[in-house]
Amino acid sequence: MRPIVQVRGLGKRYHLPRTRNNSPTVRDALVGAMKNFFGRLGGRNGEGADSFWALRDVNFDVHPGEVIGIIGPNGAGKSTLLKILSRITKPTEGKADIYGRVGSLLEVGTGFHPDLTGRENIFLNAAILGMKRTEVKRKFDEIIAFSEVEQFLDMQVKYYSSGMYLRLAFAVAVHLEPDVLILDEVLAVGDASFQTKCQEKMREVHSEGRTVFFVSHNMDAIQRICNRVLLINGGVLTEGRGVAATIAEYLGRNSSNQGPNSLRDEPSKTDLAVSAGSS
Amino acid sequence: MSRSFQLGMSLPDEPLIRIRSGRVWTLIDLHDVWAHSELFYFLVWRDLKVRYKQTILGASWVILQPLLMTVIFVVFLGMIVRVYTPGVPYPLFLYSALLPWTFFSNAVASSSYSLIAASQVITKVYFPRVLIPAAVVTVRLSDFVIAFIFLIPLIAYYDVRPTWKLIFLPLLVVQLTLLALGVGLWSAALNVKYRDVGTIIPVLLQLWMFVSPVVYPSSMVPVRWRIVYNFNPLAGLINNFRSSLLGTPFNGWSLAISAVITVVVLVSAVIVFRRVEDEFADVI
Repeated sequence: MRPIVQVRGLGKRYHLPRTRNNSPTVRDALVGAMKNFFGRLGGRNGEGADSFWALRDVNFDVHPGEVIGIIGPNGAGKSTLLKILSRITKPTEGKADIYGRVGSLLEVGTGFHPDLTGRENIFLNAAILGMKRTEVKRKFDEIIAFSEVEQFLDMQVKYYSSGMYLRLAFAVAVHLEPDVLILDEVLAVGDASFQTKCQEKMREVHSEGRTVFFVSHNMDAIQRICNRVLLINGGVLTEGRGVAATIAEYLGRNSSNQGPNSLRDEPSKTDLAVSAGSS
Repeated sequence: MSRSFQLGMSLPDEPLIRIRSGRVWTLIDLHDVWAHSELFYFLVWRDLKVRYKQTILGASWVILQPLLMTVIFVVFLGMIVRVYTPGVPYPLFLYSALLPWTFFSNAVASSSYSLIAASQVITKVYFPRVLIPAAVVTVRLSDFVIAFIFLIPLIAYYDVRPTWKLIFLPLLVVQLTLLALGVGLWSAALNVKYRDVGTIIPVLLQLWMFVSPVVYPSSMVPVRWRIVYNFNPLAGLINNFRSSLLGTPFNGWSLAISAVITVVVLVSAVIVFRRVEDEFADVI
């Protein structure tokens, strides 16, 4: 059986802003270039000290139909991994091959325009996620039924509650029918009944042989939906024997450590001094 | 255990998506852009809809902007400074150049901010980023078409007969759009990387207008400066745009220079844009 997602040696390095001002200007660039030039003349290398690896040497294969839960403390690299797989950001090293169409929902309501109606936003959001208009038309009734916002369909979405927003956004995303669906903790906003509905829908997606990546801090949901769990900590990916074992490992490690680690925590395998990849 | 082996789903032999590290030195992935063509239409449609929904004046603003500028320049340059425009009434001379100029300047100014305005989407969804400035330029092009309609009564009022030269007008508009897109892509990409670019662009555009034959004829430029003057791609475009509308003589030389520069600007813009595109989500 061939994998649908193949990840090899994936790594992402971010540069920490040198100053508190994190939006660089042309002036900064010129000053920086001068400093770099003179620094190099003086035999010093300015590169390296201000960067960290959000993700390092990540390898895994995913087969069609797997529902992968990704767990780990805040800032561990979960979202970075999803962003690389969704092609929003590029890896610094390594590669990933995906043998199918990807649909991702990293945040609720991305691409929704407050001044357009719910109906118009369904089409807009679907287009942003890569869905054709004919496809949306075919699935329109299903999307509406799932989202339960039918009577507000012709109202501008700026008057929607956050729950309605979420329901509409999620409804569009799950009806995309991508081969690989990437969800980054977007369900937390919904109420209990909608969360249950989403989890049922995800199981349905799985039974159709499609693949789901699902980031969550809700271990109950992970345990219920996922048939495989990946643990990311400090940019390093590990996988225990089975869902329960990996969750137990995470919970155990988390309580023995001093809680969620920060962005600045160094990945255990990383030697920051030798970071000479592309920037 | 995974039940995937029961499903018999057939996977393609080649990956649909290849994610690789490293930078690229390529032109825009046209196949990818084409795959997202529907998104492009939606972005244009959304902008048009939101604009005309919010203000009843929406459509009229589009005409008012070049019209008010025409009035201002007619009063100050036409009546007080008395700029001499041989064979063409000054108001018509102005409006026929303020039309392409307003389009160009608005297109560049709004594309330079377009990516930053869309940062929410850029950090959360993948699609070819070039669609954002391209949609902005297209919206401005539709403004241009609306403002152009007002030119017809103006031409009739001054009793100017259209000539065969009018058939070149669409080609000039195409070139103008490509130039606006090229300059817009450059400024949009630079503005993401260096935030002070956004504040410089309005100043540069102001300057650009005064080194272009918008409010004065290029015959007022000293002869020894003419060649240098024509290296401004808008000089050839605006002069010939006016000639095409009003039947005054074409200037093939300046148009040729302008066409070459347009191609250079557009190709370099696409390469630069593609190269920095991958970093947008990280630096925006």
